[in-house]
Amino acid sequence: MQSAGTSDTSRRSVLMGVGIATVGAALPPAGAALAQGTQAAKGPKLLEMEGKARLAVLGDRPLVAETQAELMDDDVTPTDKLFVRNNGQVPELTSDPKAWKIKVDGEVNTPIEIALGELMSRFPNVTYQLMLECGGNGRSFFTPEARGNQWTNGGAGCPQWTGVRLADVLKAAGLKSSAVYTGHYGTDPTLAGETSKPTLSRGMPIAKAMEEHTLIAFRINGKDLPLIHGAPVRLVVPGWAGSLSTKWLSRIWVRDKEHDGPGMGGFSYRTPRKPIVPGSKGDEKDMAILESMPVRSVITFPADGTRLAAGTRKLDLRGHAWAGDWDIKTVDVSIDYGVTWKSTKVNPPANKFAWQRFAGSVDLPSSGYYEVWAKATDSNGVTQPFAAANWNPQGYGANPLNRIRILVES
Amino acid sequence: MSQLTVTPVVVITLTATFLLLALDRSGELGRRQPPYAPPARPAAMAPAPAVVDSEKGKPPPHNDTLEDLPEGKGREVTFYACTACHGVALIKAQGLTRDLWDSTFDLMLEKHRMPPVEAAERAEILDYLSEQFPPRRRGRGGDNPFLK
Repeated sequence: MQSAGTSDTSRRSVLMGVGIATVGAALPPAGAALAQGTQAAKGPKLLEMEGKARLAVLGDRPLVAETQAELMDDDVTPTDKLFVRNNGQVPELTSDPKAWKIKVDGEVNTPIEIALGELMSRFPNVTYQLMLECGGNGRSFFTPEARGNQWTNGGAGCPQWTGVRLADVLKAAGLKSSAVYTGHYGTDPTLAGETSKPTLSRGMPIAKAMEEHTLIAFRINGKDLPLIHGAPVRLVVPGWAGSLSTKWLSRIWVRDKEHDGPGMGGFSYRTPRKPIVPGSKGDEKDMAILESMPVRSVITFPADGTRLAAGTRKLDLRGHAWAGDWDIKTVDVSIDYGVTWKSTKVNPPANKFAWQRFAGSVDLPSSGYYEVWAKATDSNGVTQPFAAANWNPQGYGANPLNRIRILVES
Repeated sequence: MSQLTVTPVVVITLTATFLLLALDRSGELGRRQPPYAPPARPAAMAPAPAVVDSEKGKPPPHNDTLEDLPEGKGREVTFYACTACHGVALIKAQGLTRDLWDSTFDLMLEKHRMPPVEAAERAEILDYLSEQFPPRRRGRGGDNPFLK
């Protein structure tokens, strides 16, 4: 494990104490995005699958399930609690993982086709705790609805991954000067059952591919990858949309231009360069690729909807915050709809691209109903908006501040 | 006389045999054998790979029915057009204007290789989807003055 080596002084807590009179007007009414997010009244359908916790099912075909905030409380995400996102069908488990072939071709001097067993022994194995986050995480906070799976904040997790650096493999193949982008391929059949065409094939600029935390991973939390998480081998491209972290990895095509597989172009994994009217069709020409995921915080304890005993006047709380390519500088909490803020203690990440623990407390002046808000600020000083901003038809980049509701009994 | 003595013996023997067989089949006599596993493929040139259950580790099965969609004109044609590939839950989670349902249709045709649909059928599906699954979140943005 390596230290992120970021500035420690920047972590000093700062009491923001900013009065913002128009907060109420800037938020959707209570019960809109928040109730949609938690579905407290009815409750989501829960996943029933061997090896997986009872996650909230967003769709069963393809299987998509998110991790409830209170299940995101572990420092390192256990494999059973990691969210599930599929775009196509799940391929069959290989009987011979070591013989699984991975191809690296395109703009390289020596195209490689290497068996997983050889890959594991030929290149240094590294282990990091890395964020995996769905590009559409937070989509349900948009008003009006954006198209796609209605994630709250649960399309994210931070397990420990073991693999080889993609950079080492690309160096072995020898990048040509014409190499500018990657294109990733997995073996999952399309929803219609085709295997001749990719279900999804996204890519990234070479600089991200060469980043030392971008892995070809074969273990999660010390164990072989389960099928649903990409067995026997997958990419882990931390901090960027999860769709880059191709499961069941079979090929990396090094391109001489921006990759153009399914999932690139149009409104897919793109956010507007200039703001568009929420709910409108928008124009593809105004969209730019979503690269780093935005700053986000999630209160993981207590759970939304917690009742506190009469007389409770102090509430300890904790959670995680992360910010794509960046680190978290501060996380502040409020019990008065953002009129006043209180800082929390933020731990350094286990390594770059790992989420960070925040913990603090709030004083509750009386019995009654409270919303506890959390707002993270990253190392660039970029913070979470009060409401999901920069609406786009497919709903990327929604990262409004996190809210839980509690009731202190009378 | 001999028949009279032989018959009960036969009856008792047969009854006992059937009873034992039935108990054995139902597992009442204890599990002496491991559950059935298909035989491994005979080795040819290379050693045969271990037999893998093709369903192992896969998501649970799904079984959407027409009734999972709300009643309305166009329900059936919508159901069969959409669930050829994806589940009903994904449809029901959406809340889109007709304009956005229209572009969603294009997305399915262009990016997700949905088979072509005749114009009349497309209109019927779009009518159904925009009637049943319009924007539901209100407030800021939901009634935008700049939205057609």
